[in-house]
Amino acid sequence: MNLKRHLALTRAGIMESLQYRLGTAVTLFANLIYLVLVYFLWKAIYASAGTDVVNGMTFTDTMIYLILATALFNFLEMFVVWDMSRSIQSGKIILDLLKPMNFRTYTFWSYSGSHVVLFALTFVPTFIVVMIVTNGAIPMGINLLYFVIATVFALIVNFSMEMIVATICLYTESTWGINIVKETIVLLLSGASIPLAFFPEVFRQVVEYLPFRAVYDIPLTILLEKNGTDTLEGLLPMFGLQLAWCVILTLAGVLFWNHSVRKITVNGG
Amino acid sequence: MSTNTITKQKERRGFGFYARIYRKILVQDLKSKMSYRADFVISTIGMIMTNLSGFVTFLILFKNFPSINGWDYHHMLFLYGFSLIALTPVQCFFDNNWNLRFQVQSGDFIKYCFRPINVFFYFMSEVFDVKGLGQLAFGVGTLVYAWVNIGIPVTPLVILKLLLFLLTASLFMIAIMNAAAATCFWIVGSGYVMVIMFRFKDFAKYPSNIFHGVFRILFTFVIPIAFVAYYPSLAILESDNIPVLTWCAPALGVLFFYLSYKFWMLGVRKYDFTGS
Repeated sequence: MNLKRHLALTRAGIMESLQYRLGTAVTLFANLIYLVLVYFLWKAIYASAGTDVVNGMTFTDTMIYLILATALFNFLEMFVVWDMSRSIQSGKIILDLLKPMNFRTYTFWSYSGSHVVLFALTFVPTFIVVMIVTNGAIPMGINLLYFVIATVFALIVNFSMEMIVATICLYTESTWGINIVKETIVLLLSGASIPLAFFPEVFRQVVEYLPFRAVYDIPLTILLEKNGTDTLEGLLPMFGLQLAWCVILTLAGVLFWNHSVRKITVNGG
Repeated sequence: MSTNTITKQKERRGFGFYARIYRKILVQDLKSKMSYRADFVISTIGMIMTNLSGFVTFLILFKNFPSINGWDYHHMLFLYGFSLIALTPVQCFFDNNWNLRFQVQSGDFIKYCFRPINVFFYFMSEVFDVKGLGQLAFGVGTLVYAWVNIGIPVTPLVILKLLLFLLTASLFMIAIMNAAAATCFWIVGSGYVMVIMFRFKDFAKYPSNIFHGVFRILFTFVIPIAFVAYYPSLAILESDNIPVLTWCAPALGVLFFYLSYKFWMLGVRKYDFTGS
């Protein structure tokens, strides 16, 4: 392991994503408007509910959860599937496979740059705005550190899922379809579109053990100190679940990829 | 070709002429799609999954909250079904907008300018998205279910009104996507504009009187999301107290569509001038 080599890829990624400044600015602005829509919607929903607390979530809790989930989504979003299908079509994938670095490692680190940029440009500003607007509703303490750790785990789980889906695309030659199936499942079952706390009991018990939750729900639950995550006993199962899925999905992804890479056919590449 | 024949040809280009061309191009598109059968099947499954997940989210929401801003379960379902149907035309007939920026960037777009037919028409006719029909089925099912449960009487007049306002509603989303796609004539890599607009459409299925102040104006007159389902559906839901904006919707829809078309064509002209 040569960290210097990996960080070179991170730097290249940072420079590349700073190229599209206008796009980033417009996206940032549009995200803010989108968040205002989310705010209006849930304000109306809670106003009609008649009570302040629904399923242990107050309006403020729900808002913080959903806004930060959107911010996390923007920052974790990867285009591995799209990029891989494009590089198979153009034949560029051969060059990537020939690089003196494991393909999976190479892919992971080349995305790390854009993650750094997006974290600084989308997540941090959103977080600060939420912190100021809600006036101290986010607990400030050691939970921030736990949140960062959980986010790194979330990043690895998300990357592993992306890689597995991208590998499936080698067989199906369908990118849009596979990608939309993945996105839909992840967004629904991870709690990004509606907090998991609102799910019906039986449904939730199943979802709690699935890997999708490790991406959005666990980091946010830890940040908000819900479900007893302010104690070590509550915290460890969360990290345990994330770690378990990191290992399982990474192993599965590596095996699947090694098996499938021989099947790549580049037409005229 | 003499001037005489050209004028003659132009005279024959009515609706029938374009309908005939559309059918020919459509058949070619479907043939080429069927050759990638796996992709076709998976994409269809994907479309069904998105709709299902939308429903699940909706059901979970209403399991926890009885109503939203005075809109109960069945009225919200009505709005939801209405929006799904209204979003079908943009999905089926105007899906090629998503490819516009790639074609413009690579220069392939020039081929559309060389044909003696309307550039906008020719470009859009190239793709018919079959997946949209699944969404249509979902929408019709939801609308009928909500309709029966609310107990709206079925008369020829109401059906006529429904069709008129569905058509109206669909014009707004088409206009939004046309305008969003056309930005690529000026800005390189403007795909994110379309992505953003496509995300905003998720809010079409909520009663837009939940928005306040500047945002209400923004989403009524600038990015007319409120017209994709809310205002048009009021024509059916509150037939004895129809707001002014609902009455204006058909005219506004045509206007928005016309403006987006002009904007799109302005982009084409700008593209021509660069000579690329």
